[in-house]
Amino acid sequence: MQAVGIRNRWIWSARILFLLPVALLFFFFFIYPFFFTVFTSFTSWRGIGAMKFNGIKNYTKLITDPTFQKALRNNIVWALSQGLIQVPLACLVAMILVRKPFGWRGLRTIYYLPNVISTVALAMVWVAIYNVDGPLNAILSGLFGMEKHNWLGNPDTALFAVIFQTVIYIGYFMIVLLASAMNIPRSLYEAAEIDGASTLVQEINITLPMLRGTLITTMTLAMAYGMRHFEATFLMTGGGPAYATTTMGIDLYLKMDALRYSEASTSGVFLIIMGTLVITLLRKLFGSSDPMSEMAQ
Amino acid sequence: MKNSRLIAVLLLLCLLSPLAAQGQAESGQQKEIELRWASIWVGNDSKAPAVEALVKEFNTKNAGKIKVVIEPQPDYNAYEQKVRTSLAAGQAPADIFTIKFNPTTATFYQSDLLMDFQGKLDDAWKSTFDAGSLEQSTVDGMLKSLPMETAILPIWYNMDALKSVGVNTIPATVQQMYDTFDKLKAAGIAPTSQMTGDTNAWTSMIWFSHFAVSLGGPNVWDKPFTDPAFVEAAKLIKKMIQEYSTADAVGLGAGGSGGHFLAGRTAVFSNGPWYAGRADLAATPFFDSIKIGGLPAVGEYEDIMISRLQANICAASSKDAAKEQAIVSFLKFLTSPSSIAKIAETSGAMFAIKTDYRPVNNLQKQFYDVNAAASTTAFDLEAALGSEVTLEFAQQLGALALDRISAEEFCALVDRKIEH
Repeated sequence: MQAVGIRNRWIWSARILFLLPVALLFFFFFIYPFFFTVFTSFTSWRGIGAMKFNGIKNYTKLITDPTFQKALRNNIVWALSQGLIQVPLACLVAMILVRKPFGWRGLRTIYYLPNVISTVALAMVWVAIYNVDGPLNAILSGLFGMEKHNWLGNPDTALFAVIFQTVIYIGYFMIVLLASAMNIPRSLYEAAEIDGASTLVQEINITLPMLRGTLITTMTLAMAYGMRHFEATFLMTGGGPAYATTTMGIDLYLKMDALRYSEASTSGVFLIIMGTLVITLLRKLFGSSDPMSEMAQ
Repeated sequence: MKNSRLIAVLLLLCLLSPLAAQGQAESGQQKEIELRWASIWVGNDSKAPAVEALVKEFNTKNAGKIKVVIEPQPDYNAYEQKVRTSLAAGQAPADIFTIKFNPTTATFYQSDLLMDFQGKLDDAWKSTFDAGSLEQSTVDGMLKSLPMETAILPIWYNMDALKSVGVNTIPATVQQMYDTFDKLKAAGIAPTSQMTGDTNAWTSMIWFSHFAVSLGGPNVWDKPFTDPAFVEAAKLIKKMIQEYSTADAVGLGAGGSGGHFLAGRTAVFSNGPWYAGRADLAATPFFDSIKIGGLPAVGEYEDIMISRLQANICAASSKDAAKEQAIVSFLKFLTSPSSIAKIAETSGAMFAIKTDYRPVNNLQKQFYDVNAAASTTAFDLEAALGSEVTLEFAQQLGALALDRISAEEFCALVDRKIEH
């Protein structure tokens, strides 16, 4: 009995020992910063000097701030564009490639290629494409006689121009959906063919239902990314003109830049709340993507 | 069990013994004080070679006593973030570092981590600094950064372009300016390089500052932003962007704005003396024709040049008196007129330390001449009102240029960001 007790103690000690490094890292790089952010969001603090508790003043200021309202609206547009345009596009391409048409391997690589190129490089390329004297205006003016347009400099088109250059890069989600689609048993399609189902009917009744779990996961990831979007917009427009492309992430960064740390923390907390809300809403709308829980139902 | 405990203790001792030995070695060499300098003047920066040589010279002179080690900070934005986050985390970014002094960075003065030079600056050392710059760097009686690099922000004229449309001199009156710009436009050259992008709409911010100071005087920044001087300046900058700049000015960044001038697509530009040392500028066919000057007075105030404190030097406070003394020794050496003359000679930069140095390079010489000819200097918008106000200025400038808001609305929007 004593030997068993010593063995159990050793096992528990080993478990704690193995978990400790990760637990410490998680505490110092996630738990502590998270609670610190929440705490500072209720203070007046410029990063230097003493913090002064100011209740919910930062939150009321944030909600009534027209710049933040624009940023929130832009993030919702981002999330919807990513979830409802990028993922369906990726799904469509995955459904085509899974049937292994001629050159599908090459196409798969081409679609994925932008995902291995740095965001900075892609952003710079698109800044050049959208330039007043750039190739996009040259093509549009050559084909349709359109006047030159300042795509990133006009508040009416800047947001959509930035979203477009992100949404068309479907490679990441396409690969995930393709991998999932390749695991659908061929027998299901063969049976459908014998029953006389067309390709479209097969896709609607076999592929899409079988991809449901992966689709919900990719949509959740895409929309969560949309809610915390920062890089491409910051590089291409810096959030301008007139805050037309500002996102909550950029708003947070600019507040830190102006040494408004407590207000930046408030934006950060709001960002977390919004992200959690989006994910919860998706779960409520589409149900769980976990196959195990689906089986249990 | 006893054996395993013994083994564990022995293993622990083996692990800790090198650390103890290291500690002994360090305590045995306590004579030399090492100072870390997070320097932005590295890599391709025009001041880098002279600064490196000066550090070497200082280290040789103080061998065994003080050693300055440069920590290269080639990315200025990342460096600014480092300074901010280090101070917020309760740590000095290095023993010596620089900041761009403005109302936003003046917040750093609240930190006890920064050395107050007020008590360290003896009369001899103080007399080497430009008194105005020292005063501008003093906040609530504290001098937690020493003014080092200064800059004037004049207007650059590509005289080859101007001559190509029959204009041989820098415009002296507003009417001459518009006539010149109209001629350039008619010849297919965009007159000016304006921009509304980045966090400060840099080149247009300089133009706006010239207009505002000419209309409201050198103390214009003390007035509310809804003052008629700012409203009029807003109308003028809008006209410049709409009528006398490139079509991509709204949303354009500093790289694009400078690129247009370098490529000869625009004829008039605005920037500080550091731009004069660029290799791509020297390679342009019009390099020798560049004339530096002000803008014709649009208001009643004439001959005012726009300026800023470009880099103030800070030091970490220390409880170790010897270390503080070492920092002061190095800074005295670095800011001595002879050291500054060496840096100025290779870089063409301007400094808040008085020297006899006068550049021989034509372009650099013009900066000194323009500065000397100005009746007085006034800060630019960013230097006077800080980064948050400047960001709002840049963001709303696009809306102003696109006629989404009026000049009055523009000024009211910028004004709400000023802490009155």
